[in-house]
Amino acid sequence: MSFTRRRFLATGAASAAVVSGSTHVPGMLLQAAAAQSAASSTERVLVVVQLSGGNDGLNTVVPYADDVYARNRFETRIGAGTVHKINDYLGFHPAMEGMHRLFQEQHLSIVQGVGYPNPNRSHFESMDIWHTAQPAANRISRQSGWLGKYLDARSEAGGDQSGEEVLGVHLGADVQPLALAGLNVQVPSIGSFDDFRFDELGNRRLEAVRERLIAATSAQSDALVDHVRAAAQTALASSRRVRQAIHRADSSAEYPRTDLGKKLRGIAQLIHAGLATRIYYVTLDGFDTHSLQAESHAGLLTELSGAVTAFVDDLAKTGHSKRVLLACFSEFGRRVKENASRGTDHGAAAPMFLAGGSLRGGIVGKHPSLTDLDDGDLKFHTDFRRVYASILEGWLGVGSEPILGGRFKPMDVFA
Amino acid sequence: MSVIAETLSPAHAWQTWRPSAGDQWDHRKAAHLYRRAGFGASRKQLDEAVALGPQQCVERLLDACEPGQPDTAAFDAEMTKMAASLAAGDPAGLEPWWLYRMLFTPAPLRECMTLFWHGHFASSAATVDSAAMMVTQNQTLREHALGKFETLVQAVSRDPAMLTYLNSTTNARLHPNENYAREVMELFCLGIGNYTERDIQEAARCFTGWEIRRGKFSFNKHQHDFNTKTIFGQTGNFDGDDAVRIILQQQAAPRFIVRKLINHFVCDQPVSDELIEPLAVELRDNDFHIQPLVRRILTSRFFYSSESIGQKIRSPVELAIGLLRSLEGTVGTIALAQHLRPLGQRVFFPPNVKGWDGGTTWINATTLIGRVNLVTKLMQNQSVQYAGSSITEYFDRQLAESDEHRPAALVESLVELLLAVPLTDTAQRELIALAKHNRQDLGQAASEVLLTLAALPEFQLS
Repeated sequence: MSFTRRRFLATGAASAAVVSGSTHVPGMLLQAAAAQSAASSTERVLVVVQLSGGNDGLNTVVPYADDVYARNRFETRIGAGTVHKINDYLGFHPAMEGMHRLFQEQHLSIVQGVGYPNPNRSHFESMDIWHTAQPAANRISRQSGWLGKYLDARSEAGGDQSGEEVLGVHLGADVQPLALAGLNVQVPSIGSFDDFRFDELGNRRLEAVRERLIAATSAQSDALVDHVRAAAQTALASSRRVRQAIHRADSSAEYPRTDLGKKLRGIAQLIHAGLATRIYYVTLDGFDTHSLQAESHAGLLTELSGAVTAFVDDLAKTGHSKRVLLACFSEFGRRVKENASRGTDHGAAAPMFLAGGSLRGGIVGKHPSLTDLDDGDLKFHTDFRRVYASILEGWLGVGSEPILGGRFKPMDVFA
Repeated sequence: MSVIAETLSPAHAWQTWRPSAGDQWDHRKAAHLYRRAGFGASRKQLDEAVALGPQQCVERLLDACEPGQPDTAAFDAEMTKMAASLAAGDPAGLEPWWLYRMLFTPAPLRECMTLFWHGHFASSAATVDSAAMMVTQNQTLREHALGKFETLVQAVSRDPAMLTYLNSTTNARLHPNENYAREVMELFCLGIGNYTERDIQEAARCFTGWEIRRGKFSFNKHQHDFNTKTIFGQTGNFDGDDAVRIILQQQAAPRFIVRKLINHFVCDQPVSDELIEPLAVELRDNDFHIQPLVRRILTSRFFYSSESIGQKIRSPVELAIGLLRSLEGTVGTIALAQHLRPLGQRVFFPPNVKGWDGGTTWINATTLIGRVNLVTKLMQNQSVQYAGSSITEYFDRQLAESDEHRPAALVESLVELLLAVPLTDTAQRELIALAKHNRQDLGQAASEVLLTLAALPEFQLS
């Protein structure tokens, strides 16, 4: 946090004026924001969509023509007649019309059979593994996430020229994903744009004291105090930046009125406004479909497909889609054989989605075998860290080895 | 992150702490005990606590939890009556009910423990969608809060809200549902890495036929698998209670519970295995009785050491209830529940079956803003009363009873009441300057200091 904090302090007095005053924004800061906007318009952006609970990959990208699929899925089977066909073997779930169109337009890639060795079937453990890219480590030693490490590296390299730029944003009222935890950079979580500001105290003098107390540093170092202080300073700086951006944003595009739709719409607004944020993170929860899967899964895929499609279309219209990559994953897929409650239990390998205007499109890798299983679960053939390496090297333009702790061969997914 | 062990030897850490000339039992220590074990205490309660001594204070907190205590019994009866009328409604109506209970209970330690178990055996009304079931679970957690852990796990294994939450309301012999068996090992009793997938599959067979029908637990013998099972090397015709018994015989079980309770009461930082072991042995020898373990922790040298004081981040509920109890505040808890929502801890609505991660995960830019704004609302909203008056009048009265009227002393006394750790020099200068600005009206000064105090990182610590 040292760099961010130092820069923050340098502009502390000015920022205090902005937050405590109501509408008067010093010209110097407006100019900085405008310059930022121009400078950041070519920056590449990564949007991660996390599907929490373990998405049933088999019923998302469906091997509808496989007899083994039909035999294992009696109650939860997606019929061949209802899928959006990709080829004579695979089709999208009926709720994914939009993503099927993106696929046809080569704005969507499916990476098949993604997982990692010795798959863990605990939600929390497996999610931690995806977040930290450290399958072998234990919980205590998993302190930072793969995106947090990327942001740390970027901040150290001096990428953050303004010092109070918001490099990463987690949009949602859920707990901030470990993937975003860095050792130096703290990413704001934003539950709602409206609530993302300190209440006025009705007294300028008190507000000034409050600003100074938040901005103050301390000679004593205590891990907990440092963490809270960094959050407070991040809040002070980023709440102003984000509100300015939202205020400027064009919001004419149509999005589904779902939770994910609203979140992706918010991200598009921040992108349009020229915020220099490179990483956005959102989650869609509810994929732990142990019972009565059909209806809830269809609802979730409707929400996913509708929101992602609106987002990619919106960015294409405004000319930003070439610099935005959306990546979608879940902590694991589900067991090939359905259970007795018309649902499916925790499994292993599953497909990932990549969406945006700079992709080659198509299907990457084969569908895993439905008969050669690992304790009832699909075997992975593509380590998720290869997908991460592709994103880090091919998209964000940094070396992936220090972040992933080893060499993982990037895949040829970008146009 | 380093593991605590260097400065505390296991033999030393769990000895009873005895005050000494250099390490006194004072308002600061008493406030620490009440923050951790009773949602905070007012100035008056701290005065009493200091006179009483540390061990007597812990006994008083524990005694209040006994069901026979007249104050507790009367309060419980009132709460039960209120719950009965809420059971038919929207589960969201239960949040204000529990916040009210935390705010006014004569047995705050029991509510602390109930909240702890709610995070441990987490079920969310968002999925369960029945206020009646959520109330029943809440009462079960409270009833066994300081009792035998095995009894508690067995009650939870039959709990309608839990089984509904884990999609386990039916469990058929031919297709055992592994969900409950997995969570009982991973999250409730042992922790990850202390069982095999095979143990889960076999334990799942023990719970077959355990069903929820019309909101009640029932055993369906037609769906129970009566064949022999093998869990952790033991073979027999086991049922769910046997499975729980065998799980709790594992070495990992007492360690897991002790670790989690130390984490709850003592510090956010992970504690070394060596520090866990003596209490784990004791818990097993005590037949998994929770009350002696809690007493041991709350009277220990470790608990009163610098490794503990200020070494936790308050949860949102602890923050709100703590502030109100410390200032004798009363508030409409429906509004309080609303204010708490963006802060990341909605009681009856934990985020997932693992509960709240706590520690540093409580704090991010949004929740930090929410915490500061919550204090602003509690201080500025006219409907919040402090011992029956506004915050300014409350301090006017307190100051009238005091013979100390320097601005510096005022700041010091607020810090002692509300902060776990001392102020930095910079912050102290700022706050004293603020108090001096209202030298003629110290009640006003106190309320202004409070408003800005909430912006200090130290305010979030317990």
